[in-house]
Amino acid sequence: MGTSVQVTPLSGVYGENPLCYLVAIDGFNLLMDCGWNDLFDPSLLQPLSRVAKSIDAVLISHPDILHLGALPYARKHFGLSAPVYATEPVYRLGLLTMYDHYLSRRQISDFDMFTLDDIDAAFQNVIRLKYSQNYHLSENGEGIVIAPHVAGHLLGGTIWKITKDGEDVVYAVDFNHRKERHLNGTVLESFVRPAVLITDAYNALNNQVYKRQRDQEFIDAILRVLRADGTVLLPVDTAGRVLELILILEQYWAQQHLSFPIFFLTNVASSTVEYVKSFLEWMSDSIAKSFEHTRDNAFLLKYVTLIINKSDLENYAGVPKVVLTSMASLEVGFSHDIFVELATDAKNIVLFTERGQFGTLARMLQVDPPPKAVKVTMSKRVPLVGDELKAYEEEQEKIKKEEAVKKASIVKVEEVRATSSHLSESTKGDSMVIDPASATASPKGSSHFRGQMDILIDGFTPPSTSVAPTFPFFENTAEWDDFGEVINPDDYVIQEEDSNHMVVNGKSLDVKPDEASVHLLLDSTPSKVVSHELTVQVKCALLYMDFEGRSDGRSVKSIISHVAPLKLVLVHGSAEATEHLKMHCAKHVCPHVYAPQIEETIDVTSDLCAYKVQLSEKLMSNVLFRKMVENEISWMDSVAEKTNEKVLTLLPPPSALPTHKSVLVGDLKLADFKQYLSTKGVQVEFAGGALKCGEHITVRKISDSSQKGGTGPQQIVIEGPLCEDYYKIRGHLYSQFYLL
Amino acid sequence: MASVVTGAQNKRPNPNSTSAAATREGDQLIITPLGAGNEVGRSCVYMSYKGKTVLFDCGIHPAYSGVAALPYFDEIDPSTIDVLLITHFHLDHAASLPYFLEKTNFRGRVFMTHSTKAIYRLLLSDYVKVSKVSVEDMLYDENDIVRSMDKIEVIDFHQTLEVNGIRFWCYTAGHVLGAAMFMVDIAGVRVLYTGDYSREEDRHLRAAEVPQFTPDICIIESTYGVQLHQPRPVREKRFTDVIHSTISQGGRVLIPAFALGRAQELLLILDEYWENHPELHNIPIYYASPLAKRCMAVYQTYINAMNDRIRTQFANSNPFDFKHISPLKSIENFDDVGPSVVMASPSGLQSGLSRQLFDKWCADKKNACVIPGYVVEGTLAKTIINEPKEVTLMNGLVAPLNMQVHYISFSAHADCAQTCGFLKELMPPHIVLVHGEANEMGRLKQKLVSQFADSNTKLYTPKNCQSVTMHFSSEKMAKVIGKLAEKVPETGESVSGLLVKKGFTYQIMAPDDLRVFSQLSTANVTQRITVPYTGAFEVIKYRLKQIYESVESPPVEETEVPTLIVHERVTIRHESDTYVVMQWSADPISDMVSDSVVAMILNIGREGPKVTPIEEKTQEEMERMARKVVHSLMVSLFGDAKFGEDGRLVITVDADVARLDIKSGEVECENQGLRERIKTAFGRMQGAIRPIPKP
Repeated sequence: MGTSVQVTPLSGVYGENPLCYLVAIDGFNLLMDCGWNDLFDPSLLQPLSRVAKSIDAVLISHPDILHLGALPYARKHFGLSAPVYATEPVYRLGLLTMYDHYLSRRQISDFDMFTLDDIDAAFQNVIRLKYSQNYHLSENGEGIVIAPHVAGHLLGGTIWKITKDGEDVVYAVDFNHRKERHLNGTVLESFVRPAVLITDAYNALNNQVYKRQRDQEFIDAILRVLRADGTVLLPVDTAGRVLELILILEQYWAQQHLSFPIFFLTNVASSTVEYVKSFLEWMSDSIAKSFEHTRDNAFLLKYVTLIINKSDLENYAGVPKVVLTSMASLEVGFSHDIFVELATDAKNIVLFTERGQFGTLARMLQVDPPPKAVKVTMSKRVPLVGDELKAYEEEQEKIKKEEAVKKASIVKVEEVRATSSHLSESTKGDSMVIDPASATASPKGSSHFRGQMDILIDGFTPPSTSVAPTFPFFENTAEWDDFGEVINPDDYVIQEEDSNHMVVNGKSLDVKPDEASVHLLLDSTPSKVVSHELTVQVKCALLYMDFEGRSDGRSVKSIISHVAPLKLVLVHGSAEATEHLKMHCAKHVCPHVYAPQIEETIDVTSDLCAYKVQLSEKLMSNVLFRKMVENEISWMDSVAEKTNEKVLTLLPPPSALPTHKSVLVGDLKLADFKQYLSTKGVQVEFAGGALKCGEHITVRKISDSSQKGGTGPQQIVIEGPLCEDYYKIRGHLYSQFYLL
Repeated sequence: MASVVTGAQNKRPNPNSTSAAATREGDQLIITPLGAGNEVGRSCVYMSYKGKTVLFDCGIHPAYSGVAALPYFDEIDPSTIDVLLITHFHLDHAASLPYFLEKTNFRGRVFMTHSTKAIYRLLLSDYVKVSKVSVEDMLYDENDIVRSMDKIEVIDFHQTLEVNGIRFWCYTAGHVLGAAMFMVDIAGVRVLYTGDYSREEDRHLRAAEVPQFTPDICIIESTYGVQLHQPRPVREKRFTDVIHSTISQGGRVLIPAFALGRAQELLLILDEYWENHPELHNIPIYYASPLAKRCMAVYQTYINAMNDRIRTQFANSNPFDFKHISPLKSIENFDDVGPSVVMASPSGLQSGLSRQLFDKWCADKKNACVIPGYVVEGTLAKTIINEPKEVTLMNGLVAPLNMQVHYISFSAHADCAQTCGFLKELMPPHIVLVHGEANEMGRLKQKLVSQFADSNTKLYTPKNCQSVTMHFSSEKMAKVIGKLAEKVPETGESVSGLLVKKGFTYQIMAPDDLRVFSQLSTANVTQRITVPYTGAFEVIKYRLKQIYESVESPPVEETEVPTLIVHERVTIRHESDTYVVMQWSADPISDMVSDSVVAMILNIGREGPKVTPIEEKTQEEMERMARKVVHSLMVSLFGDAKFGEDGRLVITVDADVARLDIKSGEVECENQGLRERIKTAFGRMQGAIRPIPKP
């Protein structure tokens, strides 16, 4: 009867692999997150590749690799073309995160899983939503409403509520109920009784220390090292939890007037903070409030220096300092190199603020006891010299020649293209998400265009539907002014060799302040990657503190039991944690708890029956509602009548129906009742879990195991000898309920 | 979801019946402008439907001061208002908010967008500072503004919120930074309040969105009536041309503009023009507004509320970081030596810096005054648009008006074409015009009437405090869920269950499902009471059997102690020689049964140990006794009553003969009255001589 809902995990169950789940609602396929890991292991995406084409919409919940890393790759290789929905910060910070990963990878390897263009293309069709915006899907998804809600954890982090026909499917992973410096806590608890809740078991077995205590320990650990002339390395993500750390440090440095330098080093550091400054409306109330009153933007950083180039650190070689740098996994990026430099000195500390991803260097270092030495690969991109350069140039020459031949074959089309500035203009706009105004990108745009032409000419097959197949024709939409046709000088710039292509890409990318960092990488001079392995003696201190910003096990359990879904699906968490949470929830929350395996489709269609009726005015005029919290409630007896084909109308019954079993509605809290009784002048105290009222009367609540979140009514027992008090207390007890 | 049949044309067929009239009361939607009805200024529109009340905007009239500038708040009871929605920060839309929040008994919730809230604070503080009124005329002070900040909640564009069953969300309005159009949904009836809006994208703002859903009512501004704006490039060219020619002739240009909103747009235009004309670089541009300077941080932060153009520029450099424009603190700091361009507030030239400069420059024909936006009736700026020969200066003297006056509207209000287009796309069945001078509004109304002539659209132009009433008869739909919905009933079958109303949605469910589908829960209260009793347990059983039809005593092996169950409700256990324990689940009937049992047990105790024959009478004996009793009672009632041959009791009263079947209670009689009497009498006898039957 209800809406059909199927959940199929594609990755990230019984383990810490990236998150990616397929949720089908009445045949409409929603992909919840599209994550990858820091190692970019394509084998993880196998299940996704099989279904990517059938996906109708992608919903992204957090701006990090684990939640959106595979978007560019899946779009390029699996044909994932569905629109992507995300909040503005998830879109923006996610994009920056992808850039940072790409640039870091590219610096040390011939990374070719995806290019910057692929990233841009993947993020181009992101539809950006606001928190609690009810977005009505169209076409196949008619009737489905999706709405992002605050998740905590990361800026813009989302729990998704998908509604169809009044039934809610809630996808909530990596939420945080605690309010932090820059984020509000999640609103998950305000959802009550969704049909399906999909959540993670990641933290089911973890419990956290108090926030204040943890912050103090964090600062103490850092200061100890700084005062001993050491350097603190904080491997962080590009644009996620690092924001919270920056605020903690800023705040403490301001309070204590410290002068130790703090650096935030990623390939996109300055862009990140620049954008974060404009995301105030997505942050915590206190940040918004301080801005409203004093117009001080919390991310107008006074103590943290943003750098995008590791060489900027060289001036501070011997100085005690704090360095926040990506990636958190220590696999690639600046953190990798800096770790190698710092590890050998016992003065220094590497302070992990999140658990490393499985199989990464960070994870290896987080084991207890930490390893004495680790093997790392140091890679570097160096310009080609001597023979290699020669060989490379010959290679390029060959490619060029081939291109020339190709070009000649399409010279006709070329002409069309040169004049149809309008068309190339539009292509240009498409290929650049961020900076359509940058004119430097136009050669790239047109080359992209030419690529399309190639395909059209080479393998031209008339579409089966066309009556008279013709070659593609492009209308000449040239503009004319007093001097003749308006031309775009860029169209006449001679295409440079392929390696230059990279530069262009780099510029189209809108990380202008950070361009210096990519300078070597995107340099036109041919380069290669040299790497050597070395063993690093880990002498520096290693410390892990939980700044992940996820709700801990205890809170997760209490939140789930408060939300009390009708059906619960558990994903993302070690096998142990998943089992643990599954057992817990099956016992205390609801009987339908599922923890599917990868590619195992489970049907969580609610077995709920429902039909709609019209309430006639006559009936409603006889109904007296009683108000209870947010609801109004009443007993109703009626007779159904089919007024026409579809509508069923309820009319008042013609004669009195047999009396129904009376219902007591209300939620009795013994503590509240105690207070109530004492205001009524009854001597009352708790004794052994029961409420002792007056001399002899006891009121107890019998909690059977199924009661919490279960469907049974509350069982309350009042007992005592026959006396006046008994009836008095009973009267008070009755007053706590509505009798219907 | 309640579905709604809208429109006055769908009136219920029988409006005279009392029940229909009573419900119509709730179906009435009332819209009352408390300000901005046939005028511009002090926007404030009151709306009420189904007992829910929404107030849109809370402005002041810029042409008046003190209490006179307020909307007509005394028309309403502020404590009844659930939600107050502020569209944007302009004084005529937001400036009476501190008064309303702090000086009235308003208890509802207030919402505005993030950027509106940030600017509201600065703008009103400035307003309080510059408004030169006596202390008793002050509506509120700085402290009131600061306190009001804590009460204001924020809403982001498209974010849907719900308060008291009122759902609302907002769309970009394009008028100023953070300007919003509010859509309110009460029980399925949607009302769109546009506030001030513009459908034209400019240098930094997006154009107003067209809502996805058609509202039932559209409350729309009509500031520009049937006027049409020139295309933006033309206006910009005129603007820059006037300025360029004036300063090249050695004149000074005064641009009286409100500090926030349009001013930022004009500054963007000027800065760009200067950038492109190096010959002008030695001519200073001043913007004399410390307030605008303070608000710049807000403009720099909320770029996400602006258009893509500005966001793209922002990536490279801050477009609000002007290269050719410098701030001017006051007229004392102004070195008036040569050509210059000064943008100063207020826009109406009532007082302040713009007026000081006007007084200084108005006599020189080389100078120019460019009025860049809408001017409110009653201000000097409005007067000089008509180019009078003379003007009165602030010091009371009369001076010739020689300076050129240009009126180039950049105000981001919709013009006639935009309004018509907007309404055409939405096609709301009801249109309420507000925020326009009576004449302009009237002309727009005529225009719209002809445009919508062939549709059923109704147009209203209420004056202040004049209510517009519309009827929306809503059919309430409910969803039957859970166990109750396992089978869809046919006509005539009964549906009984709990009707739960939340907001404006109804659900019908079985009591057991209440906990499943709502936050409510049901409870069972088990009562257990010990009653002192020393007699024999059998006595209780005997007595109970006389009263109640069903008194079960399950075998002792199962229950450990002797037990009686009365009507399957109340259990009595003989736990000790000195007392019995009674247990039952609370509900009115069981409570009553238990009370009678208690009374009976206590009575046995009081009567003392009396020997009572404990012998089970057979069913037959019971029946025989009952027959006898009924017979004698009938005789005493009707006189002649005797048993007939078929075993029925024949009762003869005068000429009427009735036959009563004692077993079934059926009466056969010609006389209607007698039959009923006998029936009633027999029913009462049965109740008296037999134990209470099990329901």
